[in-house]
Amino acid sequence: MKELGGVNGLTRRDFLRSGLVFGVGAQALSAGYAAVPDVFARAVLAAKEAKVQNDRILVMIQLGGGNDGLQTVIPIGDGAYRDLRPQLSAAAAKAQPISKDIALHENLRGIKKLYDAGKVAIVQGVGYPKPSFSHFDSIRVWETGDPERRQQNGWLGKAIEKNYDSAGHPLVGCACGTTNVPGALRDLQATLTVIDDQKTFSFQGGQNVENVMGTLYTGTPGIYGALFDSAMATVRDTVAQLRTSAAKYTPKGGYSDKVNLVYSSKNQLAAALQLAAELIVTGTGVKIIHVTLGGFDTHYTELNRHDALMSYLDSAVSAFHDDLTAYGMADRVLVATWSEFGRRPKENASGGTDHGTASPVIVIGDPVKGGLYGETPALAKLDQLGNLSFGVDFRAVYQEILSSHLGVDGKEILGQSFDRVPFVKAPAG
Amino acid sequence: MNEPPKPAKKTQKAPLGIKRRHVLVGAGAAAGGLAVTRVLGLHHLGPELPTIALPGQATPTPKTKDWIAPLDKPEAQVAHLLRRATFGATTAEYDAAVSDGFKTTVDRLIETPAAEPPVMQAAEDASQEKPLPPVQLQAWWLDWMLRSPTPFAERMAFFWHGHFTSDFRKVNPQTPFIYWQNLTWRRMALSNLSDMLYKVTIDPGMLRYLDLGTSTGRSPNENYSRELMELFTMGVGTFTEDDVRAGAKALAGWREPVTQAMYDAAVKRAMEQGRPVPRNLQPDPGKTGVFEQQRAYVGPVTFLGDTRQWGTTSVLEKILKQDSVAPFIVTKVAREFVNQDPDLAYVKRLAETFRKTKYDVKTLMRDVFTSPEFLSPPSYRALVKSPTELMIHTTKALGLGQQPQLTRGLAVAGNGMGQALFDPPEVGGWPSNASWISSNNVLERVNFAQATLTALPTIPAFGKAYVTHLDGVVSPATAQLLNSSPDDATRWLILLASPEFQLK
Repeated sequence: MKELGGVNGLTRRDFLRSGLVFGVGAQALSAGYAAVPDVFARAVLAAKEAKVQNDRILVMIQLGGGNDGLQTVIPIGDGAYRDLRPQLSAAAAKAQPISKDIALHENLRGIKKLYDAGKVAIVQGVGYPKPSFSHFDSIRVWETGDPERRQQNGWLGKAIEKNYDSAGHPLVGCACGTTNVPGALRDLQATLTVIDDQKTFSFQGGQNVENVMGTLYTGTPGIYGALFDSAMATVRDTVAQLRTSAAKYTPKGGYSDKVNLVYSSKNQLAAALQLAAELIVTGTGVKIIHVTLGGFDTHYTELNRHDALMSYLDSAVSAFHDDLTAYGMADRVLVATWSEFGRRPKENASGGTDHGTASPVIVIGDPVKGGLYGETPALAKLDQLGNLSFGVDFRAVYQEILSSHLGVDGKEILGQSFDRVPFVKAPAG
Repeated sequence: MNEPPKPAKKTQKAPLGIKRRHVLVGAGAAAGGLAVTRVLGLHHLGPELPTIALPGQATPTPKTKDWIAPLDKPEAQVAHLLRRATFGATTAEYDAAVSDGFKTTVDRLIETPAAEPPVMQAAEDASQEKPLPPVQLQAWWLDWMLRSPTPFAERMAFFWHGHFTSDFRKVNPQTPFIYWQNLTWRRMALSNLSDMLYKVTIDPGMLRYLDLGTSTGRSPNENYSRELMELFTMGVGTFTEDDVRAGAKALAGWREPVTQAMYDAAVKRAMEQGRPVPRNLQPDPGKTGVFEQQRAYVGPVTFLGDTRQWGTTSVLEKILKQDSVAPFIVTKVAREFVNQDPDLAYVKRLAETFRKTKYDVKTLMRDVFTSPEFLSPPSYRALVKSPTELMIHTTKALGLGQQPQLTRGLAVAGNGMGQALFDPPEVGGWPSNASWISSNNVLERVNFAQATLTALPTIPAFGKAYVTHLDGVVSPATAQLLNSSPDDATRWLILLASPEFQLK
């Protein structure tokens, strides 16, 4: 075992041993939720050598519920599309062609503009073998980067653990616009923060209450003790960081949260991305950001609902890109979407679609080498259940993000190597 | 570098001699340099210190292990029960239950049928003209959680709200459906799974939330069929995709009812726009889905191994014959009422009786609360309160009664902590235990305690609140802060914001 001694005399062995005396804590570890005693985690992580020297930043956008890829990147050249989707194919006429056979949804206007400028990569047919049609099961596969379902930690959390000193710097990994830790960021040994709304992210009662709470959440016994204590330490570090950053930022993009557009999205994507921009622009040391837009489980009246979701995604991402460009930081930031699955090619009686398989990943930003990647899905060759076959393993997309954009060892995080999907313009050295 | 976590060592037992009648602290207290005698000074909380003193160098070591479970004491057993079977207790409720004893209290909680909440006319009359503001509905329920004379039944209604979940966004506040669902879930909360599944399947809110109300035999919608098996009864991996498709066909034929208010609004709208009223549109008398044979599937399909003509009742009966159902429900119940990792033998034992009693909920819950596992030390503080439980317990601890402003405030605060009622984050319902703990939520919980206390015109006497609400079992840090608090307002803040109070 590799020893990482030297900080306060603690070694990794000490750390593991101490981590294990938390009784049933080990079960909590295997559930993938628990944290480690903060002081040990800090010591171990502080002892890591900073392997990464670049200033690249990643923003992952989860399209929760299963985004319909065939309504997002529309195969206008495929006659089967209209046959399978008599109602939903109305979207084809208004879509924005990017090739002879493919068009972007009409409401992805800002993303189309960025595509024309060579800043958007569309990876088609992304999925994994033996796909699950369960939201939760498939979300877990995408979050952990493991179709075998053996891993507990999230792929982004693991990237933080292996590469960055997150102890005492919880903003290295941040979930914006949500209240709970997303599975992709979850990691036993990484520190990360969650900020729903930065305007209310401070202690009522001021510094005195903050100090008292710091003491109150110290040495808490029980299986949740370390988790509570490290959450409070993270709160205090985050509050301190936000206090210094708030004064330095005014948005330079046209963010607007059209919440009424979307029937079932509680996630205000624009607000979340505006917070992400603030964290980036003000130099908080943020590396990996996760945001979610929900409402994609379009089993019924999909046409209108999906239109609204596309518009929501497009306006938020466009504002975010404008904002970063105005601040001269767009060259550092890569945005990528992910969703647990696509949807069934054949529409149902409710004017919607049921759970499906492969769907496109959209990658946006100045570091991107724009264009189409992967094969256009073949609607004439559906599998036995009437679903699309995948062409690109989602972990190949992760690998490109990790290795080429962030410049970290993708294989260490994913456990194996994949053929490159070379959508990053100039791989980080 | 990548060694798997080793198996858990046995939880350390408290060293003999450290147990005290009222104040018990974690085993690490002595190691942390904090004198036990000082902790015992909790009896003598004095006003002598002008500000809160910080322990500074007395920071206890993180090697502190487990809470010393006081569950061998009758009053602690009762308090443990009230924190889990209800939303926590007022001092009066606590005193009454302690006087009745554990066994009598279990009987009383389980055998009392759910009291009906006050009728909410604005919800009953919801239509496109007059949508129901969700915060009003949330406040209505929070108010009833706070006041209901049958808190266990109310707690179970809340459990089923997370299990058979729906959200107001998709169900839509322009209908009374989400309100009706709440009434239905409460009335069925202590019945049996068989009756419940039928009510859930034809519940108007559920017909809309999981799309069974628009599914037809000719072109079935799979959403309800899948989640009925995956989330409501059997669990993921216990059925095939063919079962999902067959189930969708077999269940098709239901539609939502049209209420008088919805009908009136539609007529008015048609007249305003100079359109004729749709010919088929009629108000329905009932508050459940309406079955239309012409939209159903006719013919045999193969579902869970049997090929036949199916109907809703036979589909549900077939599901209830699956071996996976009882352990699936029992595991979920145990994670919410006993501990996060119930062992297999325990689940099996409870599941056998649950199935034998035709899935009787009262029997299951009695078995849970009277099982040795419920009162065993590893179950002590082994669960994290959901935001709703935290808020209602806080309000009860402070003795706050019915106040419209208060419950509206709770509705908003719950949202900030990740639990807006009637609006779960996903179709799987609410998170549980460790997944409630994030930097955002811990901050919001502390701020909730502070904001609640700040809003009070008078601070109730602290008295023995640390016994009533925390069994007198606190960490060295909590003990020290309580000891050095200058006044009752500060003591309440420490108690309500403490990690101890976040647990149940």
